[in-house]
Amino acid sequence: MTWFDTYTHRAYAEAGLVGLLAGVVGVQVVLRKLAFHAMAMTHATFPGVVLASILGLDIYLGGAAVGVVLSLAVVGLTRRPGRTASGATGVILAAGFALGAALVAAGPAGDRKLSAFLVGSIVTVDTHDLVVTAGTAAVILLVLGLCAKELTFAAFDHEGMRAAGHPVTALDLLLLLIVQAVIVVLTPAVGIMLTMALLVAPAATARLWTDSLARTTVLAGALGIGSASAGLEISRHYDVAAGATIALVAGAVFVLSLLLSPRHGLLARLVERRPATGPSTGAIG
Amino acid sequence: MDTTLLLEPFRVPYLTRALIELTILGVLCGTVGAFVALRRLEFVADALTHTVFPGVAIGFALQGADGVFEGALIAAGITACVLTLLTRNRRTSDDAALAIVLTAMFSIGVIVVSRSHSYAADLQTFLFGQILYTSRTQIVETAVVAVLCLAVLAALGRELFLRSFDVEAARAAGHRVGALDLALNLVIALTVVAAVRTIGTALVLALLVVPAAIGRTLGGRLGTIVTIGVGSAVLCGYFGLIISYTASIDHDVALPTGPTVVLTLVAAYLLALVAAGLVRRRGLRASAHAPAAGMPAPSGLPRPTGSPR
Repeated sequence: MTWFDTYTHRAYAEAGLVGLLAGVVGVQVVLRKLAFHAMAMTHATFPGVVLASILGLDIYLGGAAVGVVLSLAVVGLTRRPGRTASGATGVILAAGFALGAALVAAGPAGDRKLSAFLVGSIVTVDTHDLVVTAGTAAVILLVLGLCAKELTFAAFDHEGMRAAGHPVTALDLLLLLIVQAVIVVLTPAVGIMLTMALLVAPAATARLWTDSLARTTVLAGALGIGSASAGLEISRHYDVAAGATIALVAGAVFVLSLLLSPRHGLLARLVERRPATGPSTGAIG
Repeated sequence: MDTTLLLEPFRVPYLTRALIELTILGVLCGTVGAFVALRRLEFVADALTHTVFPGVAIGFALQGADGVFEGALIAAGITACVLTLLTRNRRTSDDAALAIVLTAMFSIGVIVVSRSHSYAADLQTFLFGQILYTSRTQIVETAVVAVLCLAVLAALGRELFLRSFDVEAARAAGHRVGALDLALNLVIALTVVAAVRTIGTALVLALLVVPAAIGRTLGGRLGTIVTIGVGSAVLCGYFGLIISYTASIDHDVALPTGPTVVLTLVAAYLLALVAAGLVRRRGLRASAHAPAAGMPAPSGLPRPTGSPR
């Protein structure tokens, strides 16, 4: 009998792990403005997970296989001339979602299953899920630590990095694969629709409080863990969906920070409003 | 497929209603989608499909099936305004703010639904719609919303077009860019509302994005994009309906209509890509440089219309 034998303990451990992982990787997502891409990836991973589940395979393997193909496809597609990335991303998103929904309906899985894919079910994670999450988190954090300098360079001066002779495409692909891995790992816990909340909200919140990248990353990780555990606690207390509560807590922390943050908050900006903000402010009123 | 099957939707009443509904939605989404594509608002459109969801859930919780439309309408109005304001904030980039609003609103919807007993079934209905249960009232509601949206687009089309290519010029010409953005966001939100009960919030995005993507692949001008978009949306709606009907009746595969329509559209998009690729291979090779993957979203202007291909 270990501590992990209780399902609530497992849920909290999983929440902490996914919160940490999503928070830290989320900083890269926010810096590189990959939110829409990540959104499309979550939806496009959906059919892979469903198919694996129907065939009785490991859903992590199914998700990961589709994810690798997709990341390669995105890197390949967006380098072709004359196509807008956001249009292609939208199509991938829509197609993935429809395919997943059709597969769920056609397969033997029932309604319950679908909702578990969509909004996750963190209270049913088992030891296998925990091990996969912990292992993936360890590898990803290690890779991020090793490539920290290069990733920062690429985020702030992509062209400069290419000019300096670095393998930018390989680095982009690495980042896409990392994001994809996080999505696959998060899906059983918070579901495809809500993975985005943990991936983006803690990182965006952290950016409101500090300008240093290192501090942003640490803060985002902490906020991720905090939001996930607090959300889980609240959801158990009021008996509502866990994944959704976690997402809502993460969003609420962001909104609070948007109001209160000392330098970028709305309150602070109201106090020292400069008239030089220009023509855009007058346009709506 | 033999011809009797192609005429089936005109004999079975509920299929006829579904077909009428899909046709109205095809015309509406094909047109609105062209503007979404021009302004690269795919992510905003995606956000709107998710933010309408809590309105649907709350409306249903309070008033049953009748509350869905009103709830969606209210949520759409509020979130269109919020999104217009949010995307003006400099510090938090557009897409991060959008992602947070989107997931937060969606979560509210899920939490509301999760309090009900038929949690999983309700969730599925709201997300994927029930096109075969389309009623006369729903068709009328959809038609009214469609006429309203198309009227707004017809009235503001030139300004929206100018704004999407040259913000500064639009401003200099005396147009209120903020108001224009709000108008387009409201139109997108209303489109989502119109489709919410039939296609469901999760699949509306496909109707907004894929037809326009087909139009963009095959044509350059706005008029062409709209025409091809509307045409493909309507045709794929028709074929998707027939395919899902045939699969369910004759082959005993439970293919839901909404996803089938979307997958038909995606297949049409792939065909269009192949066709465009063949044409391009014969003609001159464009050597323009596209932005590499994973970079910050391009801030430049959309591809000029009527450019040589």
